[in-house]
Amino acid sequence: MRSLFRSFGAAFLAMPLVVKIALMWLIFIVAAAIYSRLDRLFGQALPLQDPFYQPFLFGEARPVEGPSTAHYLGTDVLSRDNLARLLHGAWVSLIVAATVVSFGLVFGGFIGAFVGYTRGKVETVTMATLDVILAFPPLVLLLALVAVYKVRNLTMIALVFGVLGIPTYVRIARASTLGVAGREFVQAAEAIGTKRTAILFREVIPNIMPALFAYALINAGYVIVIEGTLSYLGLSVQLPEPTWGNMINEGRRDIRQTILPIFWPGLFLTLSVVSLNLVGDWLQQRVAVRSSAL
Amino acid sequence: MLGKVLAVRTVRLIATLFAVSLLTFLLVEQLPGDPILAILPPGGLDDLETIERIRKELRLDDPVLTRYFRWAGDALQGDLGKSYITDQPVSDAIKDRIPVTMELALLATLIAAFLAIPIGAISAYREGGYFDRTMSAFTTAALSIPGFLAGIFFIWLFTLKFNWLPSTGWNRITDKGLLANLQTAILPAGALALAPLAINARLIRADMIGTLKEDYILSAKAKGLRDRYILMRHALRPSSLTAITVFALQLGGLIGGTVVIETVFALPGLGTRLISGIYQRDVVMIQGITLFIATVYVVVNALVDLLYAALDPRIRRQ
Repeated sequence: MRSLFRSFGAAFLAMPLVVKIALMWLIFIVAAAIYSRLDRLFGQALPLQDPFYQPFLFGEARPVEGPSTAHYLGTDVLSRDNLARLLHGAWVSLIVAATVVSFGLVFGGFIGAFVGYTRGKVETVTMATLDVILAFPPLVLLLALVAVYKVRNLTMIALVFGVLGIPTYVRIARASTLGVAGREFVQAAEAIGTKRTAILFREVIPNIMPALFAYALINAGYVIVIEGTLSYLGLSVQLPEPTWGNMINEGRRDIRQTILPIFWPGLFLTLSVVSLNLVGDWLQQRVAVRSSAL
Repeated sequence: MLGKVLAVRTVRLIATLFAVSLLTFLLVEQLPGDPILAILPPGGLDDLETIERIRKELRLDDPVLTRYFRWAGDALQGDLGKSYITDQPVSDAIKDRIPVTMELALLATLIAAFLAIPIGAISAYREGGYFDRTMSAFTTAALSIPGFLAGIFFIWLFTLKFNWLPSTGWNRITDKGLLANLQTAILPAGALALAPLAINARLIRADMIGTLKEDYILSAKAKGLRDRYILMRHALRPSSLTAITVFALQLGGLIGGTVVIETVFALPGLGTRLISGIYQRDVVMIQGITLFIATVYVVVNALVDLLYAALDPRIRRQ
């Protein structure tokens, strides 16, 4: 355990400064997203304002206020607290991204490794099927899919994103498996008569995971952008549930007076995506170096 | 050799198009519940006459596959059905709106190309230098900003702050001339161009760094040729193959990418029609436009593949 911490610490210290900052921002967002939902999980009130409370109804605040001590990042169109809504919105982005990444790593990783290692007809059919899904422009396919649902909640959106995300992971997992399957340690395992399932789980999958994980980080950034886009169009998680995308959409109404209601969610969205890209790029370079050194 | 490649690719293209159209059809059609519920406008449930008419016209009692083949057969002849909300034929809607979408996609590609090539080339030439590092930060940012956010920011900056350009609306070239048209097209195209610009600049940079290490560049330098001449004549040319392919590939993607940008700028393009179709739950319209965009995307990608194979003998042999 101690050595695990030490190796994490060493890896962190070895990062360039921007990547360190990016990683800390990501940790902040994840922590903030979880924090914003603690009251739902434990039923306890937190020192965070209610994102649905509209103080102007009681004369406590006005819509689209600037930052103040009562509302650190000001208020939105309906005088709700921007900070509380931002953190609640972080939860939506986090859940959608986490679903896509875990579906991709688990199902995509397994299917890709399986068909890449066993080859044959199963591989041909699987890849041809996935190519059909990849033949659509992603946003258009998503639009057509979410269009048909009357109720759009977080579970449904996360599932749709998660399932549609799998094909790319399968492709990458298969491509890396093709590279790994010919290597000496796999041949050695085959030569001593190890079962093929054991080779798949012990030799192939652990070796394709670093590359897949590096892709997952960059993919998570992309997913957050796409979810934000759908939210902006009002086709993701429905109002009044705050998401970064629908906050931007609502903020457009008052763009002539102030850009702040757009600026905050825009900043959070962009910073999160930049951070995921930076950390992902950094990891990808390290993975590439490691596998070429082998 | 090329003939065989052509045949294989054509068969694959047709198979993909078949699958894409089937998926598009099933996606919107095979929902839980009666499809008529999805088609009917809000409050239309009491209108028994309309329900009966739609049921007859769509022949909803036929098996799904029969209906698919009828739809796909009509689509092959350019008939994608009629909207139940506006009564407009889908193919008319597409014909009416595709010029805006195409112009945006092309203009964005042009902007991306014109900026990405010099940025990539100079970054590669001065690798690790001040310009390279600034541009690397710029491309990272450009890749991470969602297109719709960039669009809103452009509107805020160029329309509300500087009052240089109109924020929304569209001037057709045929009505008001090229200049007025460009005034309305430049901001959305610019927002659309950010991501491909960043990707291309990075690719061209990486490609050029490799090219600049080649021996023939060294020999050109030894001959005493000017750096700028070497960069333009010797280095850019082999990298241009990569660039052309990437630009063409992105064109297909941009046709899908314009959807949200058109909505931000309220442009009368295909994307806004798709979105309004979605808001109205206009099933026929959604199916038709989705099929059209996906077909363009698939065909453009296949053509680029083929072009690349024709240009590069190494790929032809595979």
